[in-house]
Amino acid sequence: MADTEKSFNKNILIAVDESDNARRAVSYVGRMLAGVPGFKVAILHVVPEPEDDYFPSAKEKEEWLSKHVQKIEALLEEYRQLLIEKGFDPKDVSVRSTLRYCPSMAECILAERDATHYSTIVVGRQGLSRSEEFLFGSISSKIVNHARDCTVWVVE
Amino acid sequence: MDNRFSQESLRQMVSQWLPPHQVPQRFRIHSDTTDFFTVEYDDIVILKDRIYLIRHNAKEARFGLNDEVKFWVKRAVDLTDGRLKIMKLVFYEKFMSRIGNIEFECFRSPKKEARILDLVSGHKNFMHGYSVPDEKGNLIRVLDFIRGKTLATHISMIDMDHETYYHERFPEILDRFVECVEAIRFLHDHHERHGDIRRDHILIDQDTGDYRWIDFDFNYRHRENIYGYDLFGLGNILVFLAGKGDVLLQDLRKARNPRLDSLSEADFNIVFHNRVVNLKKIYPYLSESLNRVLLHFSSGANRFYDHTSQLLQDLSRARITH
Repeated sequence: MADTEKSFNKNILIAVDESDNARRAVSYVGRMLAGVPGFKVAILHVVPEPEDDYFPSAKEKEEWLSKHVQKIEALLEEYRQLLIEKGFDPKDVSVRSTLRYCPSMAECILAERDATHYSTIVVGRQGLSRSEEFLFGSISSKIVNHARDCTVWVVE
Repeated sequence: MDNRFSQESLRQMVSQWLPPHQVPQRFRIHSDTTDFFTVEYDDIVILKDRIYLIRHNAKEARFGLNDEVKFWVKRAVDLTDGRLKIMKLVFYEKFMSRIGNIEFECFRSPKKEARILDLVSGHKNFMHGYSVPDEKGNLIRVLDFIRGKTLATHISMIDMDHETYYHERFPEILDRFVECVEAIRFLHDHHERHGDIRRDHILIDQDTGDYRWIDFDFNYRHRENIYGYDLFGLGNILVFLAGKGDVLLQDLRKARNPRLDSLSEADFNIVFHNRVVNLKKIYPYLSESLNRVLLHFSSGANRFYDHTSQLLQDLSRARITH
């Protein structure tokens, strides 16, 4: 009989940004898996390399980036504490922020997943209207459509 | 302040290109354009070694409003050769734009426009020009003046019924528009976006008949689909061209159009809910293949275009079967 079950690990990658949806995703993982042995969680934020066009000068870009990274580091630590409070062992929760050129955030998140081989990606649903999705695209939809060799949880 | 040129030498240069009664007695000279409001009619702007005489501020028509004066965009005469130019001074502007109910952050970027001007140099479907910094490093774009109407004006001036238009004029207009879509694909292939695709941002060059994109300094903070907003703009223009103008719900109601009852929510624009996109319901002679392309921009669409190449592929079918 053929083995129809793919192998997977118990490593969970939660991709977050500053939105409420991301907070809900972190909270959901906390409620679902805290206290269940064997799971490791990495909370990821991809900082999209800001376009030069957006800033009048390189100095302003650097200032923006520096402030943004500080804000994100604080946010990631807050999310880490949230999981620990829910019952995760501190050694099982890591955080990572990375600066990438990101024409597509979904593809950047998937590239991070591919590099770490985590078996599950968790994202929050953005709650876009159809017209917003049409105009700007949806990160979670694209992750669902393009993810390979992993499971995707989209948290409502 | 640039002192290389005396008032007399400037007067001599200007008199080569203007009739005597229009030559000013004195000129104010700018080599720093940071405060663009101070750069006025009959002033001189010196950029590197080129000297320009400033004429009027540019204006841009807005739907239903009087023309808006763009104080950072000037008409100018290049005193070296007498050619008319459009000079875009630096105006960093960030604002929230609204499309239907959707708000998103937009900004003007001189750097982006300068980069694209280099990229599209010699491309017949774009405006041409170059960028040059003033003495304070403001990146000024100096554009060749294009004589001709906007596509929006051109369509609005075609005086015939829709069916005649569709059979006699639209095929050539569609061919020309497809060239514009190919031009946008060219930008996207080079990881650039136009940023403000509208029917009044295509000028029809009266010398060549070419449709030419203008104004690429607009940009927006993209989310997932980097080219989605450009594609939306292309779709809106296509529907406008196929309909010989916007086909609006209120106009159909006013005209008591007998086909009004056949329309459902799915037949309207995905963002502008009063514009009919499923034009075949109004104009039954429209080709099926063209209408299928239009429906990608409707509320009832199951699939959106992600890339111009998909739109071009479908448009090539529509042209064959037209």
